Amino acid sequence: MEEEKIQKFIQDYFKNRGLKLPEELQQSSTNTVSSPVSQFDPDVVRQILAFSQFQDGPARYQDEYARLRSWTYTSLDLYRHELLRVLYPVFIHCFMDLVAKGHIQEARTFFNSFREDHEMMHLRDLQKLEGVLSPSHLEEMEFAHSLRQSKVNIKICQYSYELLLQFLHKSQSTTMLGIINEHINFQVSPGQPSSITDDAEAVTLMGGSQESANQINQKEIHWGLLEDSLEERLEKVGGMALDSERAEGETKEGEGDENKKKSIEGGKQGASIKKQKKDKAVSATMKSARPEATPVPTAPRVKPELTLPVIPTEVEQSILEDLRNRVQLSSAALPSVSFYTFINTHNGLNCSSISHDGSLVAGGFSDSSLKVWDMAKIGQQSVGSDLQGENGTASSEQVAGSNGGKRPYTLFQGHSGPVYSATFNPLGDFILSSSADSTIRLWSTNLNANLVCYKGHNYPVWDVQFSPVGHYFASASHDRTARIWSMDRIQPLRIMAGHLSDVDCVQWHSNCNYIATGSSDKTVRLWDVQSGECVRIFIGHRSMILSLAMSPDGRYMASGDEDGSIMMWDLSTGRCVTPLMGHTSCVWTLAFSGEGSLLASGSADCTVKLWDITASTKLPKAEEKSGSASRLRSLKTLPTKSTPVYSLRFSRRNLLFAAGVLSKSV
Amino acid sequence: MSIVPKENIEVISQSIGINNLSPDVALALAPDVEYRLREIMQEAIKCMRHSRRTKLTADDVDGALNLRNVEPLYGFVSGGPLRFKKAVGHRDLFYIDDKDVDFKDVIEAPLPKAPLDTGLLCHWLAIEGVQPAIPENAPVEVLTAPSDGKKYEQKDDGLPVELKLPVKHVLSRELQLYFDKITELVVGRSDDILLKKALLSLATDSGLHPLVPYFTCFIADEVSRGLSDYPLLFALMRVVHSLLQNPHIHIEPYLHQLMPSVVTCLVAKRLGNRFADNHWELRDFTANLVASICKRFGRVYNTLQSRLTKTLVNAFLDPKRTLTQHYGAIQGLAALGPSVVHLLILPNLESYLRLLEPELLLEKQKNEIKRHEAWRVYGALLGAAGQCIYDKLKIFPTLPSPVPQSLWKTNERIVLTTPNKRKRSVEPMEQQPPSKKIATDGPTGLTNSSPSPMQVDTAAPAPSGDTNKVPSSSSTSLSNESISNSRGRSNGADAQSLKKSAVLNQVWKDELNSGKLLVSLFQLFGEDILPFIPAPEMSLFL
Repeated sequence: MEEEKIQKFIQDYFKNRGLKLPEELQQSSTNTVSSPVSQFDPDVVRQILAFSQFQDGPARYQDEYARLRSWTYTSLDLYRHELLRVLYPVFIHCFMDLVAKGHIQEARTFFNSFREDHEMMHLRDLQKLEGVLSPSHLEEMEFAHSLRQSKVNIKICQYSYELLLQFLHKSQSTTMLGIINEHINFQVSPGQPSSITDDAEAVTLMGGSQESANQINQKEIHWGLLEDSLEERLEKVGGMALDSERAEGETKEGEGDENKKKSIEGGKQGASIKKQKKDKAVSATMKSARPEATPVPTAPRVKPELTLPVIPTEVEQSILEDLRNRVQLSSAALPSVSFYTFINTHNGLNCSSISHDGSLVAGGFSDSSLKVWDMAKIGQQSVGSDLQGENGTASSEQVAGSNGGKRPYTLFQGHSGPVYSATFNPLGDFILSSSADSTIRLWSTNLNANLVCYKGHNYPVWDVQFSPVGHYFASASHDRTARIWSMDRIQPLRIMAGHLSDVDCVQWHSNCNYIATGSSDKTVRLWDVQSGECVRIFIGHRSMILSLAMSPDGRYMASGDEDGSIMMWDLSTGRCVTPLMGHTSCVWTLAFSGEGSLLASGSADCTVKLWDITASTKLPKAEEKSGSASRLRSLKTLPTKSTPVYSLRFSRRNLLFAAGVLSKSV
Repeated sequence: MSIVPKENIEVISQSIGINNLSPDVALALAPDVEYRLREIMQEAIKCMRHSRRTKLTADDVDGALNLRNVEPLYGFVSGGPLRFKKAVGHRDLFYIDDKDVDFKDVIEAPLPKAPLDTGLLCHWLAIEGVQPAIPENAPVEVLTAPSDGKKYEQKDDGLPVELKLPVKHVLSRELQLYFDKITELVVGRSDDILLKKALLSLATDSGLHPLVPYFTCFIADEVSRGLSDYPLLFALMRVVHSLLQNPHIHIEPYLHQLMPSVVTCLVAKRLGNRFADNHWELRDFTANLVASICKRFGRVYNTLQSRLTKTLVNAFLDPKRTLTQHYGAIQGLAALGPSVVHLLILPNLESYLRLLEPELLLEKQKNEIKRHEAWRVYGALLGAAGQCIYDKLKIFPTLPSPVPQSLWKTNERIVLTTPNKRKRSVEPMEQQPPSKKIATDGPTGLTNSSPSPMQVDTAAPAPSGDTNKVPSSSSTSLSNESISNSRGRSNGADAQSLKKSAVLNQVWKDELNSGKLLVSLFQLFGEDILPFIPAPEMSLFL
């Protein structure tokens, strides 16, 4: 008799839904509706009976969504991927509607039954939403709030759109229809459905609306290099110097093989004899590579918007010398990588930084200390070069002496919270460190002392970066702002506000007129330093941005995220050139080689990867919008021995320095 | 509904002294607790990321609580993973096992060892993109190579992984043993079979990379010490050869150490102290070795060949050096290829032969050993020059045609193969050589060039102006030179052609500067050079 009751109910149910055949029903494969025809599990029976009471209640959501879902999955192959895009926004809005109406229990079951569909693409959003359990949370939680406020843009072709509407009307899925009308903004395009490959950017459920991002990205930016930069000066004097150098090289090569033990370049600031040997080899390849290197199409020049500090002439000379001796890297000529391994850190190392010449390595620790190693004193005893003369041997020994035991490093103490970032100025005589105590401190490596404490942020400062010319620096904080400072003022010069979550990393553009910030809101923004305005928003990452790097020619930017993907952006268009897939874990650091032909990335998966970017960035320029068919090539993967790579730095001579912590448990 | 059951809320409320919590309140609180928990975890994850970690620790949670101005939870240190224990009788109830510790024990216990201080080590992760196989780097995947040395097999890759502080370079025991064995074999002049096996192992085993610096040192030392020990030197060179062959060894960074010893074995004054020592063979072997090094590393290490040739040419041109040294230098240059010979030996050939001549003759050089050496040198020179010519003949397929033509005229013997050959060679070649032929040889040339009548037109105007028309084309001058070269050969072939070519030589004198050289080559060597002319041409002479 119960059976009869069920049968009757089911028939009524079909009538109500406007469905004719039970088979159709069977296709809609959710456990609540599909199975009862054949089996009479008491649980299911109860559930079915419950439907009659909840006809217009929360069950409708589950039911209608399930139908929409199964219809989408059985739709035509050609249009399916477009229709699938609709599912996710509908899903989360269904969920939030349920929560908003107070059907917490139903919301939870609904969420859990369809969660798996979207886990692959939107895992992190789902994790956030999962916690929403009361209408007040919806109001409180920024993410949910912004979702409720803004509409999702979905590009869809004419036919898919019609199919969808037809289905919704025919099946009388009024709830779904309501949600779609309310929260989705269809951009119907005539013709064929878009290709499946640009699926990635199809649905970006962002806090900020797409339009405003687009509007911002219309602004003009000058990505060219600075006028009268050292590089430019090098090119001017280049010809002359090159000749003289060649002559020099000739005479040296004439000496025959036997007495070649001596290094050709005495002046390299590298620490060990080993390194000097290396330089010799490097200079040899450099000489060969130089003549073939075609002059790079010079980037446009722009005027600096900031007053730039004056560089002392002798320093300028040494930089020019370095630039002249730079190894030309390409896919055929890979760099040498010198790896600095931290040991016995007891899980305390939060960050590391390498000075521009690789001679100093700083580590920021969670015990609030900053430690600086002078590589000249580690390893083999070697001749101290001019550049290292300034690293005050006397004072460091004094510090070591006062602390009792002899330490191989200089200890800087002053912060009152974990040190999250450290950066050297281009000359290597200053270090900035940022900490959870919301301050930034300036240290002098000459005096081994704290000079300034910059207070301004209200929350932990995640990142601090010196500008390429020194003097100015930028900081990024949990308080959702990035700030620009100069060394001589204790107040910030500019405050960049706009990110919807923590600003996690910051990087200067090579012409110092812009800074880029990466955030937990999964966007990268580009800010004008002078005006403090946001000039670009780069949308495309699926998780928190951890690292940024700017190409030396100022045209491209690379950003790495928590999932291990790296994206290459064209600054002028604001588009992603290509995603670089390969890492399996957080990309902690990125670095462009001196002339911009290679990108190095260091990751928590214990590898350094080298990417060829010349091939792929040139192509899209030529064929403009024909899609990112050309993928950036991963040239080489250099595995380390269970050492996650924390920082990378190309020296001015294109030697790559990397640093990481030996972690035994990996 | 929320992951925090309302019972928990009740328990917690009781623990802080609220006994009469209404169930509604607990029900309302539970979801909020979950939400706050998630919020804190989200912040904690941020802290974890900024500490460059992929594992969440209690510190991170404390940091997150700190961000919210909440007092951190005390008592959870992130020293190790927290050990949860299952409560007996419950399926999903866990607790942290807190052991009772006796104060006395703690006080009386000796002080724990101070943890090691943080240190920084430096190594090469990669050298020009190639990872050196050193213990600091992750082990490279073992390319299985069939190796005979079973004793030492593949142990090397699993080098002891501990990184001890002061140790600069860890060499495993197995590797040390291996090195000792090999050096012993090489120095000890033991039986040949064993040495051969050792060499094979050197050439194929993977994981020998850490030994390369030791081997290079060893070789350099032994060569400088054992110049009079011929078998040792030979064995050393074979070791070098094997090392070069090993695909798992990246020997390039050590070449600069290796090259001096190798070159020494090529151009040393004396190698071996007994007359019976066949140092010529050693020099030949080394010459080939040097050439193979240049071929392999010349591209990456581009000063290599120039420096090497400079050394060799210096040795070759210095009259004060002994003949053995000259021999080595010539062999070395010859092994580097015909173009090197052409550039560096041939210009100096005449003067050198003049120098050599007195040594060759019985009446002038009584010392038989010296004379033998001189003949050796002569042979080497001949070989080098001949190889050079042979190579040129091969490069220019047009060559065969002039040869038969000039012959054709003189001794009316038509070889039927020539037209065929011509046909084949017509497409790639320039019009110059045959046309020149035509111009000089008159009607005979015309008949012969019937397969390619086009060329007659181009060549007709002025034979002497041919090269002026295409002055820049290097291949033209080269083929010209090779024509006269063949002329030169025909000189030797019979008297008639000699007369002819003498005339021709006069005609082409201005243009064929390099051609002259090859003529002179013939004059210098006489008929000895003939065996180097490719077989098809030779057949024409007979």
